[in-house]
Amino acid sequence: MESRILRPTLALYTACFLLFLYGPMIVLAILSFQSIDGGPQFPIRDWSIYWYEHLLGLAETSRVSQLPVGESLIRSIVLAFMTTVVSTVLGVMSAEAFRTKFKGSGPAFYLIILGMMVPGVLVGLGMALLSNTLDLGRAWWGTSFVLHVVYTYPFAFLVMLAIFNRFDRTVEEASLSLGVSPAQTFRRVTFPIIFPGVLSAMLFSFTLSYDEFARTLFTAGRDLTLPLAIYGTFSVEIYPNLFAFGVLTTLFSFTLLVIYGLLMKRFTSKASRYKGQEDA
Amino acid sequence: MSALSTDTHFATPHSPAELREKKDRRRAISLLTPGLLWMFFFMVLPMAMVIYVSFWTQTTFSVNSTLTTASWKHFLSSATYLSAIWTTLRIWLIVLISTVVVGYPVALFIGLFVRNKTLQTALLVACVIPFWTSFLIRVIAWRPMLGTEGAINVILMKLGIISEPLTFLLFSEFSVLVGMTQIYCVFMVGPITFMLGRIDISVIEAARDLGASFGTIFRRIILPLSLPGVIVGAIFVSVMVLGEFATAASLSGRKVNLLGNIIVSQVGSLKWAFAAVAGVVLTIIITAVIALALRLVDLRKEM
Repeated sequence: MESRILRPTLALYTACFLLFLYGPMIVLAILSFQSIDGGPQFPIRDWSIYWYEHLLGLAETSRVSQLPVGESLIRSIVLAFMTTVVSTVLGVMSAEAFRTKFKGSGPAFYLIILGMMVPGVLVGLGMALLSNTLDLGRAWWGTSFVLHVVYTYPFAFLVMLAIFNRFDRTVEEASLSLGVSPAQTFRRVTFPIIFPGVLSAMLFSFTLSYDEFARTLFTAGRDLTLPLAIYGTFSVEIYPNLFAFGVLTTLFSFTLLVIYGLLMKRFTSKASRYKGQEDA
Repeated sequence: MSALSTDTHFATPHSPAELREKKDRRRAISLLTPGLLWMFFFMVLPMAMVIYVSFWTQTTFSVNSTLTTASWKHFLSSATYLSAIWTTLRIWLIVLISTVVVGYPVALFIGLFVRNKTLQTALLVACVIPFWTSFLIRVIAWRPMLGTEGAINVILMKLGIISEPLTFLLFSEFSVLVGMTQIYCVFMVGPITFMLGRIDISVIEAARDLGASFGTIFRRIILPLSLPGVIVGAIFVSVMVLGEFATAASLSGRKVNLLGNIIVSQVGSLKWAFAAVAGVVLTIIITAVIALALRLVDLRKEM
């Protein structure tokens, strides 16, 4: 009886919630098609792709200066890639270590988790102070990079821990006791089981680093990464080219997500095919 | 001498099992060492540095390592800084409450009322997708939404509900609260949905068969079992909101100054020692909040 009223009410509420989540991005996407003489608000004077051309440097330069996305985009992607490799390797190693019980595992666990808890502005400040004191230069590929790993490594670690928790160790032991070399065992037994986790850890690391901003602000030095370039435009007046950028960068992230989905699907279907052969 | 030999005697493993255990432990530690070293050098050390520099001497454009408490005295006697602490705490508390209030019913619907696994996953993914767009873009997206010529004002004027645009919507504390609630709500919905999804439906059915109303079922079964999720979500939201500065910087029109904003502006004017003091104060607040939350739930057990 009550559930008959409650269920539709909650369903309606959830719909409103999704509108609340998506509303601003939808408005932003609409306004990115503003015409050349329109501002970053309603009304839309005329539909055009002028601001996309402006963003990509295809339009003649106008009163609005171009967003500095070119080089900063490359820096952000390289940085995200470096972060992904290191934090995934560290995450897999640490999670593997946690499969054995050892003294001090509690504090070690919390030390790693702290990396995702500590606010970026704090570690960023600390790193800037440290590099000042040690007289080291600040650069996105150095001081920013190590902080990005501090942030993404705990995520990779947690994902891998969840995978290893469900991982029956005896399968590995069986392979080893049947005389298969440890390297072969890793390649043929361990890796296929942990691969979905590795892929998820990589996705997390890449997107978190690509978008990371607070940890980069004080540590990047002179060359800007993409989020810093965007942040720089906040203090001055904003124009619809920022909205066009928002749409494009969102599409980029979704492409990554789709690639991840496809890889995952391909892998899981392959795994189930093996299973089918075993049954036969 | 003799004590030493007995010691080594005890330490020598006897059985193969003991030998293997020792080998495993050594392997675990060597696997863990690189990660822990990384965390020590690039997280613990910088944080220690923040504490250390907060006691340095600040001159107009530089700091030197003569120890003093002058920066602390300056900070604690300044109305601007003290009000930043108060603003940070107030915004944190309001956002925390609003994310629970806004997020809980959604989690309740997805975790408990949607039985279809595919639909459940689809709804969760729909909640997580905005997280995949750039954080700064999500913040800036509230400007065309809330501005005087923004979507909300345009719609309300078209509908004839208001005749003048509402000006309190943007560049106010309100816009900061709305923006933060939207951005951080997902971190509340996720953990609560997870906990609610683990509830055995037969328990609720049994209660209903025994004549309990939904109110009673919610109060006696659903709420207590979902509480760890609320607390995990609260930890996520708290940590992120307390360390915030970008949302306040871009949506408040400089009306809201959080501790994070103080740090950024002090670094901008090379007042490293003052920034460090603000950093230590922020660390103390966050540590207190997490410690409180961890007393209520064991994070490692819930994962």
